[in-house]
Amino acid sequence: MTLDISSPAAAGRRIEPGTVRALLGLGVLVAWEVLPRAGLIPSLFLPPLSETLGALVSNWRDYGWHLLVSLRAIGVSMLIACGLGIVGGLLAGSIVSVRRIAQPLASGLYAVPFVILYPLFTAWFGIGPQAKIAFASIYGLLPCLLGTMAGVQTIDRQYVTVARSLRATRWQMISRVLLPAAIPTVLSAFRVGGALVIVGIVVAEMLTSAEGIGYLITRYRTLLDSPRVFAGILVVVALVFAFDELVKLLERRTRHWRLSTRSGESTT
Amino acid sequence: MAEDKTNTKLRVVSSLAGAVAVRGLGHTYNTSGRVTQALADIELDIKPGRFVVIVGPSGCGKSSLLMMMTGLVAPTSGTILCGGQPMTAPDPDRVGVVFQEASLYPWLTAQDNVEFPLSLRGIPKSERAARARDKLALVGLTGFEDRYPHELSGGMKQRVSIARGLVQNPPILMLDEPFAALDEQTRISMGDELLRIWEETGKTVIFVTHSLTEAAYLADEIIVMSARPGRIIDRIEVDLPRPRTYAMMATPRFAELRERIWNQIKTQASE
Repeated sequence: MTLDISSPAAAGRRIEPGTVRALLGLGVLVAWEVLPRAGLIPSLFLPPLSETLGALVSNWRDYGWHLLVSLRAIGVSMLIACGLGIVGGLLAGSIVSVRRIAQPLASGLYAVPFVILYPLFTAWFGIGPQAKIAFASIYGLLPCLLGTMAGVQTIDRQYVTVARSLRATRWQMISRVLLPAAIPTVLSAFRVGGALVIVGIVVAEMLTSAEGIGYLITRYRTLLDSPRVFAGILVVVALVFAFDELVKLLERRTRHWRLSTRSGESTT
Repeated sequence: MAEDKTNTKLRVVSSLAGAVAVRGLGHTYNTSGRVTQALADIELDIKPGRFVVIVGPSGCGKSSLLMMMTGLVAPTSGTILCGGQPMTAPDPDRVGVVFQEASLYPWLTAQDNVEFPLSLRGIPKSERAARARDKLALVGLTGFEDRYPHELSGGMKQRVSIARGLVQNPPILMLDEPFAALDEQTRISMGDELLRIWEETGKTVIFVTHSLTEAAYLADEIIVMSARPGRIIDRIEVDLPRPRTYAMMATPRFAELRERIWNQIKTQASE
């Protein structure tokens, strides 16, 4: 249930939040087109929307190929970061002695801006895909690990007791009880960790790389080709939105146990 | 699965499988160096097919005693026999357990929650689906198979828990304050439901509660416990006729039973 403090009288003329969001988005797009055209913003800083889209369409092969390169690196990094993070978090979260060592360590490391270490990564791995994959994996790993660890700790003890009374094996306990019970928190960990993986890959490509969407943005920037820079930015924004939609889809599929706060109690 | 339905009205008193015996059970626990005696000298003999209620003030260790009988907690000393065999670990083929909180898995439907114990044993899908449907029908939840726990009322959730406890057909069912979180009307009708299920299946039922009314209404025999250390201080044979009815609660005999339990535990409850 959401808290609504607006007066009942206002209910009749209330505008739907979805409508407001759509209007805001439309406003930004119109401003993007009108302000540079009217000369209020130099088109070197902000080329009109139509010009940006034109650059995207006429170079679609270029953008498509570099996007695929980035997507492949993102896919591998997510597999490493979220896979290791979630499995590690499940194990570390359910074993007290490991958790006591891992948790302060991981949260301490989380505060380090890893991007300062990227030059080292290129020295170790070269400027090929290995460097950015290694960088983005570590970048996304920590929030996945920390989120899952915290998720396992908040699992209702009763779920474990029930499984013990049914003589579940250790493996069944993990796969049939701990993992599904942790899924809501694992998903929010994935949302943060996965977004950081995308940031990590794009930033790494912008710093030192010869391919990928981040590299493309940097290359056009040095050429002062603003429409193509903004076209690259649009591609990255679309990528992040697509990832967010994917997480939302997964969250919808798990709504039954996010609705139950404790022992199947209803919150609706 | 099928044998439950063959004798719907007759009480099927099974063999020794439903017998429970507790011998010389004691339990102590250690909290920061201080040793506390939680249970002492517990002796119990429960005949197959009986409905036994354990009642006592809070902190008397009645729930701990039940958890030991289920094999979930190991006692410091003494032995527990269910169906003649020592209960050193949980065994859902011998003892079904129903907990106080509904404790259903929220990511599973009612049907899948009841199938869960069977799926842990690797029983094929078609067989466990049939057995779970059978048990859901027994607890009166036909038509609710596909509901998730958050879509069920408190009483319905406990019905699912009972079905889950019975799905492996254990001769013994142990319930730890199963209706404590329910409102009074639901609690009374759930008591009637449990009595009906017990009559139909002939299980041995061991039921822990802090409610004197619930104890007198449900039981063949009431075990009264005292606190610190938890001991058995009285055993009461309940001679009220069956089937029990709501009107019996107003009879002098019912009041006598409640008063006898109350007299045993009131000194401790007031402490």
